[in-house]
Amino acid sequence: METSDSECFESADEEIYTEKENKKSKKVASSPPPKDDLSKEVEDITNLKITESNDEQPVDLNNEPHEPAKATKIKPSKIGVKTNKSDNRTNSHSTMIDNKHIDTINVTENLEDHKDTPNEEVNMWDEDEDWEPIETKPEPPPPVSTNKSWGWDLSAVINAATVGVTTVTSHVSQGLSTVLETGIGAPDPAELARQHTQETETHNADDDSTQSTTNLFGFGNLVSGVTQITKLVETTGNKVILGGLDTLESIGKKTMQVLQEGDPGFKKKRALLNIEGEKPVLSQILREAKEKAEFENRLLEEQHFARKANYESLFDDHQGLMHLEALEMLSRQCSIKLERLTESRFGSELVELQETMNQIVELCELIEDEDELEDTSEIKEKLDSAVSEMVINISYDKLLTTRKEAEHWLDNINLQICSELELHEQAIDTLAQLTALAVERYHKIGELLLIKEHRSTADEADSLVQLTMILITLTGNMATKFSNKLSEKLSSSAHKDHINTLITNVYFESANSSSYLKNAFQLLIPVLQVGAI
Amino acid sequence: MVEPIFDYQFRLILIGDSTVGKSSLLKYFTDGKFAELSDPTVGVDFFARLIEVKDGTRVKLQLWDTAGQERFRSITKSYYRNSVGALLVYDICNRASFEHIPLWMTEAKRHIEPHRPIFALVGCKLDLVSNGGHREVSKEEAKAFADQNGLHHIETSARKGTNVEEAFRSVTQEVYNRIQSGEYKVEDGWDGIKTGFTRPNGLDFNLIEAEPAKLSCC
Repeated sequence: METSDSECFESADEEIYTEKENKKSKKVASSPPPKDDLSKEVEDITNLKITESNDEQPVDLNNEPHEPAKATKIKPSKIGVKTNKSDNRTNSHSTMIDNKHIDTINVTENLEDHKDTPNEEVNMWDEDEDWEPIETKPEPPPPVSTNKSWGWDLSAVINAATVGVTTVTSHVSQGLSTVLETGIGAPDPAELARQHTQETETHNADDDSTQSTTNLFGFGNLVSGVTQITKLVETTGNKVILGGLDTLESIGKKTMQVLQEGDPGFKKKRALLNIEGEKPVLSQILREAKEKAEFENRLLEEQHFARKANYESLFDDHQGLMHLEALEMLSRQCSIKLERLTESRFGSELVELQETMNQIVELCELIEDEDELEDTSEIKEKLDSAVSEMVINISYDKLLTTRKEAEHWLDNINLQICSELELHEQAIDTLAQLTALAVERYHKIGELLLIKEHRSTADEADSLVQLTMILITLTGNMATKFSNKLSEKLSSSAHKDHINTLITNVYFESANSSSYLKNAFQLLIPVLQVGAI
Repeated sequence: MVEPIFDYQFRLILIGDSTVGKSSLLKYFTDGKFAELSDPTVGVDFFARLIEVKDGTRVKLQLWDTAGQERFRSITKSYYRNSVGALLVYDICNRASFEHIPLWMTEAKRHIEPHRPIFALVGCKLDLVSNGGHREVSKEEAKAFADQNGLHHIETSARKGTNVEEAFRSVTQEVYNRIQSGEYKVEDGWDGIKTGFTRPNGLDFNLIEAEPAKLSCC
């Protein structure tokens, strides 16, 4: 129940706003006449009179245009949410108002309902103990009304008919079009009330003028023609509808009045409902929940990608950090050994030792030389020849395999399917893995050099310089290949900035790789120095 | 290959004579596989695995697999320092490897000082014994040595996976217990125990997983 109520109110809410924008909707009160059920309409004439007279009751419509206007300020959607005991009344009233509006759309079918509505409401409200019935019970038709009787009424109608069949038709069609224009066409109660006021005024004017004619022609005029009766029935039908709508309007208006009774501007009720208002509307909850879920998903995804593409953690995953750390330990161990040695030497011996140390450092200076390394066999050849000078049993096969696999992956990716993020992730992972493997090799070289029986420091230094340059070029080339692939995506992607950031990041991590390699190489210098003494 | 989130990282080192089966033990523990043939370890190699201690705390074990060969002895010594636990590994069918255990232990104690690591005595190649091989170290003798030195003792088989998990789990649990009791602390400049990754942005992943289910019912 809560759900449907609040939904109802929401739709009503929307319509209120469209209505306000749409000035044409002023004529919304009229609705298409039912042409089929004539007998029923005739029956309804009495009813119409009731409602008309009802309209003329003491409530001064003209003096109260502000109140309905205030009413629109209330957010019906909030009223729709339930409900503690004290609010039940308000709640049901609001629901009813809304139902009435919906009914106006279906006037043709709901003629019966309109007739019944006042009674329905009376019954309902009567059940409510808190209810003060004075306001809403439909007043019994005042005797004046009944006295007017057929004679006046019919002639008035005839008069109205002769003058205004066309106007009614246009009126109706206008009403229809407004109904269509306003979607489901449930009008704002305030709007309806205002129209009602206008309409009552025009009716009154009509009545005044016809009153005199009634006096002139009297009852005899009825005989003037069957054709006129047909017209009469038609127009009466229109009036019945108008009357039905009028009834609805007045009910709506009165409901609003009752609601505002002793509570101008709904202050108290709003205060009451505000407590409820803190329980948000269902649709609002769902919307917020959806947004929250989307946000969290995006966050998780970003974290996932951030983690996946984080160079340091990937480097660690490939055991790079552990080997680097172990290499540092080795290096430190050698440095300590060297320090002790320097401390134990004096004079020319010390100078000689320091010279040797410095020579080794000089031997280890890297020459920046950007060789293009394309072919796997060429790289393998270069690596092998570089390593051979060290005379240790070490192979770069694993690193070369990794490089080859990455190239193979790059050659076979479908850029249509592969997202820039995946591409970037793969690039960073490849760089991290290559660097980790290279660092692991530096570590192994260090260990193997330390247990080597016959050291040849100069050769080892030369070998390591070559090796380091090959490895730096190799990782750099790999980064370039990935960046090129990312650039290929630039033309077809809407996120150019994002891709450019990714490309920059690949180059950044490539630079990171070469500094890891250089650093690892630097850590080997004490190992070389230890071998020289 | 995203690294799982963990609360602590313990560094454990495996020491013992060459060919007793240190690398095989680690390979089974981290990979669940047994390699019939493997190259002798050069210097040190690394393995890592995440396990949970009894209260559900996730611990990443960083495992240093040292070379048992005599020629690497001088190098491997430099790797001892940052370990919180050491597995003293011997071959059940190799008497000498068991007899060297006290030397390994002394060496480790000396290099890990001032820290006092947890030691465990791990016998390897249990499968060879049940397969008709000749046991050279009795369980009782090893147990007696372990008790005497306050070590945990266990016999394992990397080929069959017998007790491999338990060997590491007991050390991990003991380290964790000592953290809980305040005996061990996370210290700057010592990598034996480290706190792990904090969950990103303080988000509890269990909560995140629970959220979508909750949403669907409102």
